Amino acid sequence: MNIIEFLKVPIFQRALIASILAGGTMSLLGIVIVVFNMTTIRFALMHFGLLGGAIGLALGANPLTVAIAAIALASLLFGPLSDRLKLDTGLIGAFFMTGSIAIAFLLFYKAGVPALDVFSLFTGSILTLTSNDLLFICVLALIIVLFYVIFYKEIQLIFYDSDQAEWLGVPTKKIRNALLFLTGLSIGVAMKIVGALLIDALILLSAMSAMRLAKNFKQLILLTSLFGILTTTGGLLFSMVFDFPSGATITLTGVLILLISLLTQK
Amino acid sequence: MFNENAIELNNAFVGYGDVTILKNLDFKVKIGEFVSILGENGAGKTTLFKSILLILPLTKGTIRVFDKEVAWGRDNTWLRSQIGYVPQNHNKGNFPISVFDATLLGRWGSSFSYFKRPSLRDKEITREILRVVNLEDMMHHDCKALSGGQTQRLNIARALVRKPRILLLDEPTTHLDVDSQRKLDATISNIRNQYELSVIMISHDKAHAISLSDRIVYLRNGKIYNDIGVPL
Ligand SMILES: Nc1ncnc2c1ncn2[C@@H]1O[C@H](COP(=O)(O)OP(=O)(O)O)[C@@H](O)[C@H]1O
Ligand SMILES: [Mg+2]
Repeated sequence: MNIIEFLKVPIFQRALIASILAGGTMSLLGIVIVVFNMTTIRFALMHFGLLGGAIGLALGANPLTVAIAAIALASLLFGPLSDRLKLDTGLIGAFFMTGSIAIAFLLFYKAGVPALDVFSLFTGSILTLTSNDLLFICVLALIIVLFYVIFYKEIQLIFYDSDQAEWLGVPTKKIRNALLFLTGLSIGVAMKIVGALLIDALILLSAMSAMRLAKNFKQLILLTSLFGILTTTGGLLFSMVFDFPSGATITLTGVLILLISLLTQK
Repeated sequence: MFNENAIELNNAFVGYGDVTILKNLDFKVKIGEFVSILGENGAGKTTLFKSILLILPLTKGTIRVFDKEVAWGRDNTWLRSQIGYVPQNHNKGNFPISVFDATLLGRWGSSFSYFKRPSLRDKEITREILRVVNLEDMMHHDCKALSGGQTQRLNIARALVRKPRILLLDEPTTHLDVDSQRKLDATISNIRNQYELSVIMISHDKAHAISLSDRIVYLRNGKIYNDIGVPL
């Protein structure tokens, strides 16, 4: 089949729309992860997603729905918890991470979940998106865009100098926690699209590439979004044409863009 | 020469948790005066700034700014319009932002926020301030591309862009080479005169403090142990 024929199939149409929306908007939350130095948190959230997925599989529910719910809950708790306990988020992350993955494996074992189902949590697939999944991605993409548009100045100030932001009266913690929550939801969606092990491809790589090239916030946002779309749609089209697994191809596209940005110094 | 006070702390006690750092401090700065604060590391200099800025509460005593009593926990919108603050060791981070945007954002909350976009006047003032601190040519550069001295001038611009009447500088020239230090000093004297500022500068270098200020206050263990005028 060539690309035109592929695009007549509803599954591929959904996958393409999802890849444009997710690539263009969820990548923007990678900026949050890079600037706030939250690489541990995103890893911990991913583990939480696995735990949610495990619970879903054990209960016979849709594993990814439970995974997204678990991640959303965890990301709601991270910010306030780290403020209250005065712990660094890295430590909290490590704590949740090991705990949740251990419980997940216990659940897999006790409920006798088939290995293939467990494997699907780790690899995901953009080609199994339902129209409800797509609706969820649309709504999330819209919220992310609106959030960045409305709080454009505030986000910039918090990213650049959160002390000054706080002193000027910007609701720094609220905005940070909201961004954390959106990041959590996006990680959940990324599990569905590229799988738990490759969420970075969708969320982190584009931001890291753009970070190296952008000279101001506007450029950062536009480049991140552009790289995000190139990563997901490029990866998806490649995987269709060459019959490669989509998650891996999307990830490789992201890695390739990062590599090019590393070589193209400012 | 100076009559009214820009800042007046009376009988102030400030601490972190159970530890009291500033003890029974009486400290005044007259309108238009340039006061330098000297003292060893840990003497409580930065803590004094944080109390004036209402980042830390007084456990006892009062603070008056232009003869108006202010206190931690109250609405400090007015205070923010009066005081510009250049913190110690501002680290640049890794976030890409232009010199112009970083300066403009210093006006957040005074004339724009959320749905209200910066006006032409906000941008005009930003350009004016960047001209005054000699960063006009660097306006569209990424802040990360600035040298140490330029970064400090940017930090001063970010504080000045609100058009405050008081400027607090926390060790502005520390870690700068001699040449950058000289340029920064010129900028500081310049803005002080041009905007008729009252300035409090924390310094670790006596000669440097003498060259810029009207008065030098020595802080030790949270108390003032010497307060001397600098002869003209
Ligand atoms: N956030 C804080 N929590 C607890 N103690 C602090 C804090 N900040 C400063 N201190 C202590 O208060 C004292 C004064 O600090 P500071 O005002 O920063 O000194 P200086 O600026 O004169 O070097 C020091 O002993 C320091 O350890
Ligand atoms: Mg200090």
